[in-house]
Amino acid sequence: MITKKYSITKFQLFFVLIQSQIGIGLFSLPNVVQESAKGDSWISIILAGAGVQFLLIVYLFLLKRFPDDEFAQITQKILGRTLGKIINFFFYFYFIMTGSLSTILMVKLINLQLLPITPNWMISLLILSACIYLTISNLKIIARFFVLAFTLIILLLFLTLFTLLLPQEIQFILPVGNSGIKNILIGSNSALFSMVGFEALLFLYSFIIHNNKGVLKTISLANIFVTGFYTFIVFICLISFSPDQLNLIREPLIFLFRGLSFKMFARVDLIFLSFWIVPMTTTIIAYLFLASKSLRNEEKSYKKIVVINGILIFLISLIPHTDEITNLFTKYISYLNYAVIYVIPVLLLILSIIFKKHETGETA
Amino acid sequence: MTGCWDQHQLVDKTIVNGISFDLTDEGRILLKARNINIKSKGGGQFEIEDELVSAERPTMVGLSMDIDSKSAGRVDYSQTHLLLIGDELAKQGIHQTLDSFYRGKDSNIAAKIAITKGKAHDVLSTEKDKSPIAFFILQMIEGAEETTFLPEETIFNIWTKILTPGKDFILPYLEKTESDKIAIAGVALLNGDKFSGITLSKEQSTLLLLLLDRFKKTNFMSLILNPTSEDRSIAFSTRKIKRDMEITVDKTSGDITCTIDISIQVEVNSYPQNLKEDLNTKKLNKEISAGLTKQAKEITAILLEANSDVFGIEMELAKRHPDVWKKMNWDEDYKNTKIEPKVNVEIIKTGNVF
Repeated sequence: MITKKYSITKFQLFFVLIQSQIGIGLFSLPNVVQESAKGDSWISIILAGAGVQFLLIVYLFLLKRFPDDEFAQITQKILGRTLGKIINFFFYFYFIMTGSLSTILMVKLINLQLLPITPNWMISLLILSACIYLTISNLKIIARFFVLAFTLIILLLFLTLFTLLLPQEIQFILPVGNSGIKNILIGSNSALFSMVGFEALLFLYSFIIHNNKGVLKTISLANIFVTGFYTFIVFICLISFSPDQLNLIREPLIFLFRGLSFKMFARVDLIFLSFWIVPMTTTIIAYLFLASKSLRNEEKSYKKIVVINGILIFLISLIPHTDEITNLFTKYISYLNYAVIYVIPVLLLILSIIFKKHETGETA
Repeated sequence: MTGCWDQHQLVDKTIVNGISFDLTDEGRILLKARNINIKSKGGGQFEIEDELVSAERPTMVGLSMDIDSKSAGRVDYSQTHLLLIGDELAKQGIHQTLDSFYRGKDSNIAAKIAITKGKAHDVLSTEKDKSPIAFFILQMIEGAEETTFLPEETIFNIWTKILTPGKDFILPYLEKTESDKIAIAGVALLNGDKFSGITLSKEQSTLLLLLLDRFKKTNFMSLILNPTSEDRSIAFSTRKIKRDMEITVDKTSGDITCTIDISIQVEVNSYPQNLKEDLNTKKLNKEISAGLTKQAKEITAILLEANSDVFGIEMELAKRHPDVWKKMNWDEDYKNTKIEPKVNVEIIKTGNVF
């Protein structure tokens, strides 16, 4: 039995999952999905949400067999010591890389929209020092911060409603289902990458208080919120921009805000972006935390590992930020994604069922 | 810490508030910018100067560099509220002109855009020594938008419209009157991103906007019902509008007919009639409807002539009758489309007089 000192409630889990999922991915989402699904992109997002729900249920089946073990222990119990450790390292590698990618994309965005002359390393340093500072505390405090930061997401959702003042053309998404099922599914597949972050459940499960029941409801609600939020954003972008235009714009949502102008204030995009820095940072915090938890380690060394991981992410984020390199990086991460969110958990579940592995001490 | 790099001070800036683009006789691009230059006089006091800077190059690229070298400090485009394009340049297409606005992070893409009769810099350089003319024009355009004289268009909006296949758009059309004042001349009809050279007058533009279902808060229209008798002209404003648009394809002949029915509820502003009699609303309704329908038909004829598909008939056709649309060459076939507008007027208010 591990210490329950740093446990979180189901209420907090809801926000932690949302915060790790919603972040930088939001901006590229309309572009990426629209490439194949065109006017039906919003259907793709809903389907992707259904896919996430399915995966979450798979995770839950696996985790319910080991309610008190950390994920790093589960892999070792199912696969044996050596293979389990390799898998754990693989997860560690994935989290570090995804954390770095989020940092790179965020730095790129800030550099493009807010601070054009400030060098990348400085932005990266500022972001990561804040991330390390929070992650170093403990899960309880991280969870509390995530709950607090959720108010910003609500505020931004509210801000997004203003974009409905801009002219819209419903013709862009008509007729519904025009792109064909194949293209919609390809779109869902790309959308899934903007929704990653839910794999955090694997590592958080053992920290949840009373994790024997009610977790499914919490994670389903979180998933519904994220899917709904993304669908709404993509839908607005689809009816506001013509398909040809959507292919040209780097961050459609931000561009949409730029078109807004009020008597009292202009440049809503800058206001939006300044607020959105927090949800983007929470994603990095989540990955930094997960990376530090993915290798089985003692409580004492946790702080050291967070700092080391933070420095590692900082160093990786220093690679040149040309579009070419970032695209390549994104592509490789997406392969890692497949392994981490589909293959390994499903494989682990199947193996644990076949070999009837349960938590030690529990009757089969 | 980021202030070490990204710090901009107001006094170092030259703020551009209006830009004009023109095509010179030699085929070069002429840009003029109306700037506000802020100078610090010390003691927290500032001196504000209005200036006009120009630059000329064979293409769009590099013009901002010339402007920068001719102005004091850093040139700031974030307060540019107005973009004027001369008719000659607009005939060649306006999309290229706008690229740098979309690409740059500092430009104000909520700025208004208008096409001018003759050279755009003539309009922009009006009242050179006085306060910023760009704001005057801006307010004029905004006022006309409220009263449905001009379409509400910004640089942001029209990018979507340029890149929307199957639908054209209209832009405000400004002119400089003889007494050195600026006036709204109507709207310019575009085909794709190119100005067709054909414009509509102010009276026509407000009716066109009604037909397009782009009615804002109110509008003003006037009509001479019967030129022979004295008391037969009427001025009124719209309160409410309902529009139906339908496209039908004749199966045998393949003719495309677009019917646009609008029903408007109006308030009478002025009807200097024989005041001893009460207003015969029913009769007036009919007369105004007939008059406006006639005007609407004139407008649609002009639209066909300008090859400007502002109703988006092609777009509708492509969605509803894709097989018919694929066989067509819209650039040629649009002219043969029948557009049948119909206006129904109902007087709901007559002001303080019966």
